[in-house]
Parts: sequence; C-alpha cells; structure tokens
Amino acid sequence: MKKPADTRTMNFFDCNCSYGVPSHPAFRFARTPAELLEEMDWCGIDRGLVYVAGLRYGSPVLWNELTAPDLASQPRLEPTWGILPSQTGEQSPPEQFVTQMKASGVRALWAFPNEHHYRLDGVTFGDLLELLTEKHIPLFVKLNAIALGELMKDFPDLTAVAVNQGPHSLERYLRPLFDTYPNLYLDTSYLLVEGLIEEFCERYGPRRLLFGSAFPDNCSGSALLRLTQAEIDDEAKRAIAGDNLERLLEEVRI
Amino acid sequence: MNPTNPSTLAHDFMQQGCSDDCPIIDTHTHYGPYQGAYLPVMPHEKMCHALRRAGVSKALCSSHEAILGDVDFGNAMTQQAVDREPDLFRGYWVVNPRYSDAMQRLISDYENTRGFVGFKLGPEYHTYPLDGPRYAPALEYANEHKLIVLIHTWGGSAFDSPQQVAAVAERYPEAALLMGHSGFGDFETSVRVARDYEHAYLELTCVYSAHDFSMLPAGSSTPVQLASSLHVNGIIEYMVEHASSKKVVFGTDMPWYSPHFAAGAIMFARIDDEARKDICYRNAQGLLERVRPTSGR
Repeated sequence: MKKPADTRTMNFFDCNCSYGVPSHPAFRFARTPAELLEEMDWCGIDRGLVYVAGLRYGSPVLWNELTAPDLASQPRLEPTWGILPSQTGEQSPPEQFVTQMKASGVRALWAFPNEHHYRLDGVTFGDLLELLTEKHIPLFVKLNAIALGELMKDFPDLTAVAVNQGPHSLERYLRPLFDTYPNLYLDTSYLLVEGLIEEFCERYGPRRLLFGSAFPDNCSGSALLRLTQAEIDDEAKRAIAGDNLERLLEEVRI
Repeated sequence: MNPTNPSTLAHDFMQQGCSDDCPIIDTHTHYGPYQGAYLPVMPHEKMCHALRRAGVSKALCSSHEAILGDVDFGNAMTQQAVDREPDLFRGYWVVNPRYSDAMQRLISDYENTRGFVGFKLGPEYHTYPLDGPRYAPALEYANEHKLIVLIHTWGGSAFDSPQQVAAVAERYPEAALLMGHSGFGDFETSVRVARDYEHAYLELTCVYSAHDFSMLPAGSSTPVQLASSLHVNGIIEYMVEHASSKKVVFGTDMPWYSPHFAAGAIMFARIDDEARKDICYRNAQGLLERVRPTSGR
C-alpha cells in the first residue's frame, strides 16, 4: 500500500466552489467570499477558482459584472464568468466578450446549460467555442455525459472541464470520451465511487484530473480526504490537488 | 496549509486514512456486480482492502443481486461473502415482497443463515410500500428479535418516504430501523422521525453528496424516478443538532461510495470528536450488541 502524502506540503486549488445566496440554500453555505475563505481554512484548502451562486441560479447578465469586483481584495480566490448565447443580445459577441474577460482578470468560464436553458453546441456557440479553443480558455461544463459527448464531437480541441459527473459511476459513458478527447478534463468533486481516481490515473495519468469540492453542494472535506487518501503516488496527488489547474490557467492566451 | 479544524480524528484521517481512536462500522454496504454502473472495487479482495484501509471493522452487507435480481440467488451470494470474511461482514437478508414463495419461507430461510443481523428492504426498487402488509412478517420478526432493518428511503417516495418509516416505527418499537440515505431530500422529516422514535436512525449513505439526476443519463435508475436534491453541505451538523449524534450511523453503499469520501464529510463537519465517534462506530456497535448473529440450524 502506498504511503499517504503529507497533506501539509500539498497546495490545494479548488476548481469548483462557490459563494453567494441561492434560492434553495445548503444547510451551511458561504454568503460572502470571506465566509468561503473561512470554510477553505477549516479544511486546509489554499485557493479557489470561484463562481458566485448567482452565476448558476441567477443570470450571468447580472452576475458576471459583479464577480470580479467582489473578489478583487481576495488574492486566494480567482473569479470566473458564465456564458450565454450571444444571439439574444444578452452577452457580447465573442471577441468583445473575451476582451471584457481580460479587463476583469477572468481566465476561465462556466456553462450551465440546464440551468440557463440553451444547447451547448456549434449551432449556438460556434464562434465563441472556436475562440475559447484558440485561446486555451478552459470552459467548466455542468452537463450530462451524452450532451458532453456532443459538445466534444463539435469541438474536439476545446479545453473543457467536465464537473459534477456523479455521484453514480458514469465510466461507461465517460471513458469513451476521455479516450477520444485529450483536452477533456474532469473535476473530482463527484468521484465518490471508490477506485475511480485510481483507475483514471492508471489509464490516462493524473494531468487531466482537477481537485474540486463542489462546495456548498457537497462538503469540502469529502473530496479533500478522498484525494488525500487515494492510492496514487504523491506526485500525482500534487498535480490533481492544484498543479494541473495552475497549468491550465497559465496556458490561457488573452 | 494546515486546516483550522482542530479535530484530532480529522488529523489522523488526513495523515493516515484512518484512526485507531475511531474505527468505522459501515451499516450499509452491498456485494457483487451492479447492472447499471462499473464499480472498480466490486471484486471481493478489492472491496475488503478498501474497507480495511479506511479502518472499517465491520460492514453490514446485502448483495446487489438480491435487491435487483434473483432474491434467493442474491441472498446466497451475501451468505458467501459473510462466510468468506466472517470477521468483516455481517449479512442483511433481502426481503422482496413481490415473491410470495420467498416471503412464505422468509423466517426459516433467515434462520438458516450464518452471520446475519437483520433485513434489507428496498420498497422503492420493488415498488411496494414499506407500510404495506406484505412486509409485516419481516418487521414482526425483526421486532421480536431486535434485529437491524436497513430500509432504502427517499424524500417524496410513494414507497419509502420518512413518513412511512414513522408509520412502521409506531408499530414495531423494538426493531432498529435504519433510514438508508436518511430519506434523501426530505431531511427535515427524516430528522424529526429519528428524533421522535428512539429506534429510528439516520443512515448516511450518499447523504454527503448532492444528487442532480439531470446529470445522470439514465436518471436515478429506479422504477420511479427519484427527486433531486442540489445541496447537502451542513447536513451532518443539522442532524446532530436536531436529532443528536446518537441517531446517526455511517454508511457507504460500498463497493459504491468511498469510505474516505464519507468520512471526510464527518471529519470536517462542525461537530466534536465525541459526536464523530458516535456516528462512525458507537451507535452501530450498540445496535450490533443487541442482536445475536444467526448461526444456522
């Protein structure tokens, strides 16, 4: 059995956590960035790539603008924005949108197609997704595996991070996608099923796994202890804990 | 960085994956393959290894096959698991009210087993209500012998809601009723049931993860689709505050959910280490001490 890593030397960078006030709150959640940091401190999580709850449950029209100023004084928290189709005029055309991202220090985006009622495909997002691909901007995608497969078929080189893939084991859907698309990444927040992290690393190596807690949907400590005790080597744990996300963000060209 | 959580148990689990001061009794495990998902640690040796390295000293199990397929064949599989690993496994005999022949032999079949401590009921899977008459013989026997009865429960279910657990709890005060998944989604009612009935318990399997069934291409994989629930953080604190730590037991559905994922939710909940010990093993230990495991005839 591999010796567990010394977690005190690991840098945890949570790719999937949020603050803000949803209409149906968790029993405990973070209303503000400061409360999110307190939760991260409690668990020993160093940094977070963050979305505000309004970005998912409300409208990005309102919350994209508010996220970056909210986090300006929190160096441990990095903002993200959400996308909408530009055809309705709710979001700027792709080039302008990316320019706005740069001005606000945003390096990653979220897509919530079920919450915001659109199709995440080439017909709806062709120009934007081509631009994201060209600029290596990671798109965090909360989408079931069948729709995810359709997205990747249209944009095989897109840097996409599949999130919340569980809690059931979805390997029969996901492995064909990960076998086919090398820029498809996976967050660990819903890898509850024992052995999934280990087999992912064995099959693909650790570079496409990103530590995510899904706080406050889930308890931060769950994904944290799961990764810490995974039967993979320390180097793989460090990559998943934070280095992979750091690398993805450094590769962004805007 | 070091967590500000001062728990010594959390520290042990983070550094060693288990704690000598806090073994785990897993009150909700399964055994063997499952038709709807690939489970990497389904093979016997891998499952035992995963349980033991998280400090699980006892695992109460029932085979998937007994619940979702051939009940007699499946119950025999559970017996094989218990026979093969008698120090680790205790068995639940699965009751399927859809088979009258199996129900007629229920008590004699159960008494012929070795190392079993109660029944597993899956009303949702068998689309038969928990408080219906076909379950009565099993519940009466469990009541008479103080057995552990693990019940699949889900909020809003027509078959195994926490309200139906309350109805059954009223009739059978000596059986230990474990609400599997804690009536997922309707946690407030489940907590009230656990608070109001001394012999009703909240079982934690998958309670530490939100369920958004739109993310699963096949939905909830039950005959009737289950309701989603999108946030669970803080649920353990809520249970401890309103029902007490004495009414919560550990569970994983192994070979499904990682014992470490489950333990992480408990170790980083805002409760004290005594409450963590109650949940991880003390409560289940107390229930096991009331039951004499079957020894065959």
